Amino acid sequence: MWEEGEDSVILLCLTASSGVPLYCRSRGGSVKQQLPFSVIGSLNGVHMFGSNLDVMLTAACTENTRVVWKVFHNSITLIVLSSDEGTSDFSLGKLLENVFSAMVLVLGLEELVNTRNVERLKKDLKACYKLIDSFLEPSKCSADLTQCVECAVMPSRAILQECLEAFASAAESRFGSLLTGGHVLCATEQWWQLAAQEAMLLMWLVRTLPPHTSRDLPVYLPHGSPTVPHRFLTFQLVPGLEVVLLCGPSPSLQFLADELVKQFWQPLLDLLKASARASPRCLLPSTSLAPGILGVLLINQDQRKSLFTVQPHGTWAEGSEMPLKNRLCALRSFYALVISLYFPSEKSEGTTVPLQEEFQAGFSHHPQHCYVVSATHKAYAVQGRRHQLFLLLKPDVPTFALRSLATSTLQALTTEDSAI
Amino acid sequence: MLTTTPRGPAGMLVPAGSVVVPDWHKTQEAQRYFGAVLQRKKRKSFGLIERPVLPPLAQADMASYKVFVSGRSGVGKTALVASLGGLQVPSAHHETTGIQTTTVYWPAKLCQSGRALFFKFSFWDCGESMLKKFDHLLPACTEKVDGFLLLFSFTDRASFDDLPNQISRMRERAKNAIRIVIGTKFDQFAHTDVTERDIAAFRHAWGLPVLRAKSLSAPPLADRCSQGSHTGLSNVAHILNGLAEHLWRQDQWAAGLSLPLPGPKEPISAPLTGGSASGS
Repeated sequence: MWEEGEDSVILLCLTASSGVPLYCRSRGGSVKQQLPFSVIGSLNGVHMFGSNLDVMLTAACTENTRVVWKVFHNSITLIVLSSDEGTSDFSLGKLLENVFSAMVLVLGLEELVNTRNVERLKKDLKACYKLIDSFLEPSKCSADLTQCVECAVMPSRAILQECLEAFASAAESRFGSLLTGGHVLCATEQWWQLAAQEAMLLMWLVRTLPPHTSRDLPVYLPHGSPTVPHRFLTFQLVPGLEVVLLCGPSPSLQFLADELVKQFWQPLLDLLKASARASPRCLLPSTSLAPGILGVLLINQDQRKSLFTVQPHGTWAEGSEMPLKNRLCALRSFYALVISLYFPSEKSEGTTVPLQEEFQAGFSHHPQHCYVVSATHKAYAVQGRRHQLFLLLKPDVPTFALRSLATSTLQALTTEDSAI
Repeated sequence: MLTTTPRGPAGMLVPAGSVVVPDWHKTQEAQRYFGAVLQRKKRKSFGLIERPVLPPLAQADMASYKVFVSGRSGVGKTALVASLGGLQVPSAHHETTGIQTTTVYWPAKLCQSGRALFFKFSFWDCGESMLKKFDHLLPACTEKVDGFLLLFSFTDRASFDDLPNQISRMRERAKNAIRIVIGTKFDQFAHTDVTERDIAAFRHAWGLPVLRAKSLSAPPLADRCSQGSHTGLSNVAHILNGLAEHLWRQDQWAAGLSLPLPGPKEPISAPLTGGSASGS
């Protein structure tokens, strides 16, 4: 058997029809853990056995490992095995969706669905490894789970927004966005019309690549344009801050980098430098949250964008409550729990069939609030009209105060001028 | 009577040290120029709308060049560009899924005039299989290009044998761009697949300069991280200086300011495919 690490995650990709393994990746690189062929065969076999009998096997768990299966377009089977403690069927399901979308993004749906030459496909899939591997690593954000783009709120957003709109239209593009440290500072109106997962994936792509002055990457949009590639252009204006565009055949990268970028962005150099230095707090400096709050996840359900931070009070100081890693993990698990069991799942984009019987179908009502109390932290979720708020709190915040604290926080975060 | 067609500068050999002062980066004088591109002994990165800021007394002109890095998949294009830019060299090979460009500022001093100058190289790097899959990428890379770095790996014979194809592909597109051949992974002696004799024969046949680069990512040593992120300027100075010299000479030639240096005679019959002997 393979070496089972404490938090190992292994991903298998096979052709659905013939069960030929296409690749195997694991957390921390592919070399460390290669599953023996017999294990791969059994994992695929048990799933195929079920489907022959009209039974869909979706998930299984052993003492310390969870396994989730998923077939995409009747042609690609993905299997993930995870012994990471903070994981759930929900998060593994999202992981598989993200991995498949990443494969589409790089290769296009056509090549994955109508495979003529398996050896060729295997070779081409290598181009996706970097992106795929990034989903197996412990996540430092929430976007992979919520599939909502994470935003950062800045006082000077209006100026940047205006400049971005002008720049994008000069570049014959309707889809433009300004990114810093994995967060969207602002984006064109049309950018929010992209499927949430697409916008998330494009940002994720930028984040996984090492810094470059500019890029011109052919991408297939998994929902909007899975068979026709578009050009995804990125320009590093100052270190740590990039403007990205989705373009058609013109204009050329050379022209944009030499002419338009300077023309539109040069006058804002100082503002851009200041924005690139912004704190990982993602909130306006004027926003002050209750001291008991350790982490915030706010989701705008209409526009599918989010605010996420586990440092709501600025930089985290040594010795304060809960290390950042644990905060991240706790808030992510809480989100997964609440979304998979209590809150109506995100506005379905038509593609996902619920894998399990709806738990909330057993209720005669839709829960609006939800909380968890544990030894290390408390957590509270509110379902608003357009927003969902998930809070991670210190354990010494009295439980009876959670509700009013959460509602007032939601109020504060959604009524500001620059609220998401 | 003998009439010689002026040799295209693209095939010109510029002897090292004939245009810019070699090892200038080690001198005291150069420090204030290099100070503008270094930060805490590491190379500073610049966005598209920034440029190095010099102290008032040390003004220098900027010469911008676009350089396309070409070569078979896996020869180390991305790694070479990263090391030229003083960036973290990737630890494992991943196919580059499109074009990525890296801007490198390099101060140099001209031998003739004694003038200091900033060279701004935009290195264009594109995954080879992407070039084959998407037709629009190669024209984008060769649009207004000033120079080509043609890469082969000392550990991969096929990449060396592929050079004539690379050269002919470039020749069709940009006739006046300079061409420099770079052999990567030069320090992996145990795996060397290309001999000095091969190099000499190639140089003779094609009249192109051949430079050597060490591999910076290959050995899985414990100190790789520190080594990769901060390889001193010395490891890349000869390549950047060589590139600067060829590009500068080419500019001079194009402006009619200097005659091309006498290059080696064009071979009557090129021993490698794709070679064309220019008639006289």
